[in-house]
Amino acid sequence: MEKTQKSLNRREFFRKFGAQVTGAGAGILLLQESIPALAASSPRKYGMVIDTNRCIACHGCTIACTSENNVPDGHYRSWVKIMSKGKYPNVSSHFLPRLCNNCEDAPCLNLCPTGATYRTHEDGVVHVNREICVGCRICVVACPYGSRFINPITNTADKCDFCYHRITKGLKPACVDACTGKARIFGDLNDPDSEISQYLDNRSTQRLRADLDTRPKVHYVNADENIMGPDYGRLLGRRS
Amino acid sequence: MNESVQYIYWIEHGAALGYLIAWYLWLISLAEGTHIVAHLSWLYYRTEDYRPLEKVGTFQPFIILALVPLFLVVDLAHPERFYTMFYRWHWTSPVAYGVYIITLCMISYAIHAYYLFRPELMYRASREGPLQGIYRAVVFNRIESGDVREIRKRQEGRERFWAGVSLFFSFMGLIYLGILLSSFKGRVMWHSSVMVFIFFSLGACSGSAFLILLTHLKNALAHTSAKALAEQRRYLAEFGIILKYSLVAQAGVFFIYFVLLQYTGIGGRLASEVFFSGPRAFQFWFFQVAVGLILPFALMLFRKMRENVVVSSIASIAAMLGTLYGCVNIFIGGQLLPMTHFRWEHLESEPGKMAFGFITMAVMFVLFLVTYKILPYENIGSQEEASLVTHNILPSENI
Repeated sequence: MEKTQKSLNRREFFRKFGAQVTGAGAGILLLQESIPALAASSPRKYGMVIDTNRCIACHGCTIACTSENNVPDGHYRSWVKIMSKGKYPNVSSHFLPRLCNNCEDAPCLNLCPTGATYRTHEDGVVHVNREICVGCRICVVACPYGSRFINPITNTADKCDFCYHRITKGLKPACVDACTGKARIFGDLNDPDSEISQYLDNRSTQRLRADLDTRPKVHYVNADENIMGPDYGRLLGRRS
Repeated sequence: MNESVQYIYWIEHGAALGYLIAWYLWLISLAEGTHIVAHLSWLYYRTEDYRPLEKVGTFQPFIILALVPLFLVVDLAHPERFYTMFYRWHWTSPVAYGVYIITLCMISYAIHAYYLFRPELMYRASREGPLQGIYRAVVFNRIESGDVREIRKRQEGRERFWAGVSLFFSFMGLIYLGILLSSFKGRVMWHSSVMVFIFFSLGACSGSAFLILLTHLKNALAHTSAKALAEQRRYLAEFGIILKYSLVAQAGVFFIYFVLLQYTGIGGRLASEVFFSGPRAFQFWFFQVAVGLILPFALMLFRKMRENVVVSSIASIAAMLGTLYGCVNIFIGGQLLPMTHFRWEHLESEPGKMAFGFITMAVMFVLFLVTYKILPYENIGSQEEASLVTHNILPSENI
């Protein structure tokens, strides 16, 4: 059995390589620290408040969104989750209009491998560049709110962008205009004089999956806690 | 309280990523694991009769990594844009790093394999034979003087350098797989610090099992000399031990994973339910635990069983199947937890995609056997003996 001698340079190689990897890692960490600060420094920050007490679950927002954005059948950029709670005669109905939260720390944006998902610096809205998107579906899986889907027409990721083509022309998103109960308020969260900022100053609001620290820009008022997230308790209960 | 809640309208999202990506993750862990196990065992034992195994453990992962992007490309909604991932690099995305890591891994395996084969290729290129032209072309028609041992000694620095580089990228590949899944912070099953260790244990198990299986297949389907067989008998038994302890490590890592899930709130408990009694229960208990852990562990328990070709082949296939289902269960199971409603997300069964995976595995085996016929995997002494015995000539003393 022949024994081969160890290379003398290996230790030196690993030492130098380790130093380079550590240096690169430290650089990346520093960059990572600086990125949220850049995102937060946007001149405008568009957001939405939805008062669930005013929602009547007419699905007008869903239809307006589908029509405005040519959303294909079977897919939704905006929808309303409906739940009833209690036993007759003490029954209450709860509605939760859903859309992309355009999170300040959006997991879909962080995980997109090509940068097809991006945020406009001027207003913090998260977009999908259809020319770049490869349709890997990572963003669809990454979104904790189920707000994304693969558009079967364009074969790219699709989601709500607050009707960007409208808001850049001074109009409101289609769902806001179509809302029968005037449950939705859209505006610039950075502008203290805007309706949305003043509304938020005077009321406490909720955000979906706050535990994930994605900092959603869609706020809810008086939403029932049972309707706000996935009902894991029911699945566990059913199993047991 | 939940009993009084009735859901009237909601949207189901389904599992967006299916079996092809699960196969993609498993094949990468298999390739990296195979290389790590083969190379570390060579470093550990440092005997010449391990060298053929190191060649297998470097060239076969290269073949796997060359085919693996197929799984990713086929699954893309825009496969023709795949190449854009190389130049539209998004630094916060693990996949963006992964594309480079896997590519560099493949390149480093190819160069390392070249240096492993080079002395024997030189030897073959300098002798008359049907494939002499190919060997000459592969060594760029520059044939060095001296025997195989001398050529190897001269290039030892370069060979060990590329061994180190390829080993580094193998570890990076497994770390990439773990980080890739754990970076999905909305997916409670994946967002775990144990994910990297899960892929390390899956890689070690599937890698050692794959090396055993490849060696047995090669011996059964291609002619291997008696000397080479005797050399392999010892290291195959030792690989059985590596497989046995890798299985123990895998069981340990999964145990820690489930314990941690129990302390990750209701989502974590539901995630473990996916395995124990939920939609992946049969695949978990039957394929992953019974077939993938208990059966190969029992078969690799005693030396005589480890040395038996049939028994160790069955154990290897079982361990590989177990790691495949380990990967599939975590990847698919992680997407079955609902994001916004109260029912398991739906995933259509994809027998075609599973079949695609198994066919690709078969193609990899065939490619390996073809390369075994062409490339000098065995030590020259063993190979010469085989060819000389075939031609009824006594083996040379001077090789």
